[in-house]
Amino acid sequence: MLQINHLYKNYGRFQAVQDLNLHIPQGDLFGFVGPNGAGKTTTIRMVCGLMPPTAGNILINGIDALANRREIKKQIGYVPDFFGVYDNLKVKEYMDFYGSMYSMNSRDVEKIMDDLLELVNLSDKKEVYVDTLSRGMKQRLCVARSLIHNPALLILDEPNSGLDPRARVEMKELLLNLKSMGKTIVISSHILSELSEMCNSIGIMNHGRLVAAGRIEDVMGTVFGSNRLIISVGSEMEPAVLMVKEQAGVKVESVGEKEIRIAHTLSEEKIAKMIAHMIQSGVVVTGFHKQEGNLETLFMQLTGGTENADESNC
Amino acid sequence: MQMNPIVKKDIRVQARSMRICWGLFAYEAIMALVFFLAMFLFQQENVYSNTNIYSNIVMLYPILAVTQIIILGVVVPIRTASSISGEKERQTFDIMMTTSMTPFSIIAGKVMTAMIQGIFFVVAGMPVMALAFVIGGMSWAYLFWFLAIAVLVSLFSASIGIFCSSVCKKSITAVIMSYGIYVIFFVVTAIPNMICNILGYTVTGNQVTMIFYLINPAGYLMEFFIWTMSGYSSVYEMLAFSSQGVKGSQLSAAAVHYGWMALSSILFILVSVFFLWIAAKRINPISKRKARKLAMQNQSS
Repeated sequence: MLQINHLYKNYGRFQAVQDLNLHIPQGDLFGFVGPNGAGKTTTIRMVCGLMPPTAGNILINGIDALANRREIKKQIGYVPDFFGVYDNLKVKEYMDFYGSMYSMNSRDVEKIMDDLLELVNLSDKKEVYVDTLSRGMKQRLCVARSLIHNPALLILDEPNSGLDPRARVEMKELLLNLKSMGKTIVISSHILSELSEMCNSIGIMNHGRLVAAGRIEDVMGTVFGSNRLIISVGSEMEPAVLMVKEQAGVKVESVGEKEIRIAHTLSEEKIAKMIAHMIQSGVVVTGFHKQEGNLETLFMQLTGGTENADESNC
Repeated sequence: MQMNPIVKKDIRVQARSMRICWGLFAYEAIMALVFFLAMFLFQQENVYSNTNIYSNIVMLYPILAVTQIIILGVVVPIRTASSISGEKERQTFDIMMTTSMTPFSIIAGKVMTAMIQGIFFVVAGMPVMALAFVIGGMSWAYLFWFLAIAVLVSLFSASIGIFCSSVCKKSITAVIMSYGIYVIFFVVTAIPNMICNILGYTVTGNQVTMIFYLINPAGYLMEFFIWTMSGYSSVYEMLAFSSQGVKGSQLSAAAVHYGWMALSSILFILVSVFFLWIAAKRINPISKRKARKLAMQNQSS
């Protein structure tokens, strides 16, 4: 769906985006994360045709986005981070205005508007003035507006910034709903926990470079490795730790009050045998599981901790 | 044909705001003030010189017309100068640019809105102006000529405003810049001719400087109103103060006047279109040349 090849953007000597290569397949909900100034918004603006790249190309559905801008505009729905309001304009007029900007006549807009407002849960607000809506409602209206011309690709630049928890949940549900409808969605956000809950693939940018991209589980696996294990022990820790240390290819990373964290190079079969041996030797193993990384940890690790904790959780 | 969506939206939004009511009120109030002042002066003149008041009433036409043109010239650039920069300040501009609208149609929409609003004011003031024609002595056609000139003035001032709006990030800077450009057109274009007259240059020299005078709005309006009221062409006189000029040729004053007005009008339209074109280019984030250059770069790599 979206293919970015060797994309660069320079501001004088400053390289905002460097050699960005990315492929987002159709139907993906792609989370774009990175610290402030990493180049996310610059990339999004280039994809939307709001900014020319210094070099590189962007293909949407195989069409060159720079050479065929008119065609590409029909395929993109863009939701910026800030919802600009026109005073004295009703919700239905707002939708009609943007519909007519895509050369749709009022009758066609009317047909699709009801469905879209229902989708974003604003059916009862059709006759309400846009500037009187809450921020969350405005943001959902903005999503409905971006879908008025039925684009294949929806791009949202930090849509949840400034929203209260309820509005965030509603927005998440809306995006998951759109994903289930087969829309390809690119969302940049700082709220990593939410992205990890809804996105199936991510791209992490740092200092203008894409440092990791792909399916969340693949990226996690690449960064953390899949060979970390946590063994929960219900008996004495010392014999259990000794037993684990005896095993070749196993390194004890940490020992807690009731758990042992290990890094290993063993096959799943050998791990099973090791656990069985521990149980047979009288160690009470209450559980064991692979150590899963989360998006926050991944983000901090890949961006070298440049983002402070407040920002990544805001 | 579909109406420009920006015009439809902007007119609707403006019609609902109190600003349009206050604007119309202020406009009519100024017109009424000028009207009463003019009537008072005519009456005074009648008292002291015992002239016929009805012969003076025709003078209401240029007085009220010039008042309207001045208001248009002041108000329209403010409307357009804050249009693009206003969209940027409101952060609605980026969304607009991602739609199927071309930069030129966005610019045209903004200009048309300002023009329609300007003409709306002018039309509202027409009944007062029509008084000058009721008395007789003047053709009703001049009322419609005035309307045409008001459209031209609106286009010209709107295009200057939109150009400044596309260049400046802030609305206030755009408004100041618009008035700066006005000064260039009003003063700078008249300077060559003024210098020529002061230095007593030859007729040919004077005629060359008159080229600049063609795009002087003050000169254009003066020529229109003086001709309308007296049948005297100031341009004819300026072009031909001796037998070497147009007076030496077979051209009549009427031919010079109409020729001048037509040429000047065309030039004002061309200048306006030029400003609109520049504004459209300025708001276009990716120019065709840039896109072509990148496409070639990508092909070669």
